[in-house]
Amino acid sequence: MIRLENVTKVYPNGVKALDDVSFEIEKGAFVFIVGNSGSGKSTLIKMLMKEINPTSGSLYVEEKDITKLRRSKIPKLRRSIGVVFQDFRLLEKMTIYNNVAFTLKVTEAPIRTIRRNVPMVLSLVGLSQKANMHPKQLSGGEQQRAALARAIVNNPPILLADEPTGNLDPKTSWEIMKLLLDINLRGTTVVVVTHDKEVVNSMKKRVITLREGRVIRDMQKGDYGYEN
Amino acid sequence: MKIRTIFYLMGQGFMNIIKNQLMSFASITTISACIFMVGIFYTVSVNMDYMLDAIETTMGMTVFFDEGTSEEQIIEIKSLLEARSEVHKVNYISPEEAWTNFKNEYFTGKEDQLAGFEGENPLKDSASLEVYFARLETQKDLVAYIEALPNVRNIRQAEQVVEIMQSFNTLVRYSSLVLVAILLIISIFLISNTIRLGISTRQKEIEIMKYIGAKDAFIKGPFIIEGAIIGIIGTVIPLSIIYVFYERVIEVVTTEFVLISNYLIFMNIMDIYKNLVPMAALFGIMIGLIGSRVTIHKYLKV
Ligand SMILES: Nc1ncnc2c1ncn2[C@@H]1O[C@H](COP(=O)(O)OP(=O)(O)OP(=O)(O)O)[C@@H](O)[C@H]1O
Ligand SMILES: [Mg+2]
Repeated sequence: MIRLENVTKVYPNGVKALDDVSFEIEKGAFVFIVGNSGSGKSTLIKMLMKEINPTSGSLYVEEKDITKLRRSKIPKLRRSIGVVFQDFRLLEKMTIYNNVAFTLKVTEAPIRTIRRNVPMVLSLVGLSQKANMHPKQLSGGEQQRAALARAIVNNPPILLADEPTGNLDPKTSWEIMKLLLDINLRGTTVVVVTHDKEVVNSMKKRVITLREGRVIRDMQKGDYGYEN
Repeated sequence: MKIRTIFYLMGQGFMNIIKNQLMSFASITTISACIFMVGIFYTVSVNMDYMLDAIETTMGMTVFFDEGTSEEQIIEIKSLLEARSEVHKVNYISPEEAWTNFKNEYFTGKEDQLAGFEGENPLKDSASLEVYFARLETQKDLVAYIEALPNVRNIRQAEQVVEIMQSFNTLVRYSSLVLVAILLIISIFLISNTIRLGISTRQKEIEIMKYIGAKDAFIKGPFIIEGAIIGIIGTVIPLSIIYVFYERVIEVVTTEFVLISNYLIFMNIMDIYKNLVPMAALFGIMIGLIGSRVTIHKYLKV
C-alpha cells in the first residue's frame, strides 16, 4: 500500500530531514511512527501527500511511484489519503456537518452521496448530536473527531494522522485512538505519528522509530522503546 | 466540471467581492475610469470620423478658368477630373448658372438695381467646376494636379475646418491612449491586490482544500471569477454613464458651437454601442482576468 525506497529529503536550507529511509506498509495495517522532535516524522507525512518531494529515492502509494506523478494527478492521490493534524484545521465559519461535507463538495461527489455519507461518518465518530454546531462550540476531542470524520467521509484507503492526540488529555486521546482502530478495522490502512508512549505501548501495533531522519527500529507488536 | 460546481465557484467569487468591499470598490472604480476613458475616446473618435466623412462628401472646391476658355475645354477637364479616384463628383457651373446664382444671392428684392445688366452676362467668363473629394487626405495632391492643368485661373477651397477637426481627432486619440494605459496599469495592480487579500483571508480554507484533493480549477475558480466580475461591473458602470449622458452632451455641444453646428452631425448611440459594448466588455474582463491571473500564479501553488 505504501512503500519507501531509499528516500532522502534535504531541505533547501541544508537540513537532512530524512536519510535513506526504506520500509513498506501493507494494506489494512495499523502503524505507529515515533521519534524525537525533528526526527523527520512530519516530513514523511508531507511527502506522502506530495506536498514536498524527496531529494532522492522513490515513494509508492498503491503501487504508483508518486515522485513521478504529474501535477494534475495530485488531487487524485490526495483523495485516496485522508489526513488529520494536531490542530484539527476545521473551518470555523462552517457547521460540523458542512466541515465534513466539504470534502465531498470539493471532490464533486453526487449530492446523494453527501446526504448518505456525512450522517454516517458523524454517527461513526459519535457527533450526530452536534452536527449543527460550530467548531468553537466543541471540545478538543470532539473537534478531532470531526476532523477524522472529514478525513474518512470519502472512504480513502489510507488515513494519515500527524500527532492526532497532541492537544488532548489522556482520556480523550484514548477515545481518538479507539476511533482510529475502528476505522482501521473497516479496512483502512492507518498511519499514526505520535509521542503518546502509553498508547503505543498498550496497543501492540507495528512501531517504526525514526532518529535524525533514519529508521532505527521497526517492530511488529512493538513498543515506544525509548525515553523522551 | 459539474454545473453545480460552477455555480458554487461563482457564489464563492461573489462572496469574495462582498467580503472584501473596500478593495473591490477601489478595483471597480479604476476599471470603470479606464473603460470610461476608452468609451469616451471611442465615442468622440467615431463621431469625428463620421462627421469628417459627411464633410468630405459635402465639401469641395471651386475651380475657375482663364478668360476665353471654351466650354468644350472645361468639359474636357471635367472628364479628366472625374476619371481620378480622389474625386467624388464634379459639377459644371455654366456662366448662366453662375450669374443666376449670383443674382439670387445678392440681388433678391433689389431687382431694380439690375436694370443695366439686361441681356448681358457680366460673368460670361466665370464658368467653373465644383469638385467634391472622395477622400480628404488626398486633397492637397489633387489641388496641385489641378493647378498644373492648362487654363486654370484659381482654386477656392475650404479646408480649414477639416484640418482643425483632423488634428483635434489625433489629439484626442493620443491623449486618451496615454490615459488609458496609465489607468490600465493601476487597474491590474489594484485587482491583483484585491485578489491577494482574498487569498490571504481564505488561506486556511485553501490549504484544507488542497489536502482533501481539490483540483486546481476548484481552488482558483473563485478568484478568477472574482476578477471577471470586477471587470464586468467595471464595464457596465461607465457604459451606462456614457449612455445616459450622450444625448445631453450632444445638446450642449451643438448649442455652444453654433457657428460650426452645420458640420456637427452625431451618430446614434446604438450604432456606437454595437461595437463599443463588446469591445469594452472584452477589455474589462481581460483586465479583471489578467489582474487575478497575476496574483493566482504567484500565491496559489498546489
Ligand atoms: N520547510 C522546512 N524547511 C527547512 N527545514 C525544515 C522544514 N520542515 C522541517 N524542517 C526540518 O527538518 C527536520 C525534520 O522536521 P519534521 O517536521 O519532519 O520533524 P518531526 O519529526 O515532525 O518533529 P515534531 O515531532 O517536532 O513534529 C527538522 O530539523 C526541521 O527543522
Ligand atoms: Mg511533526
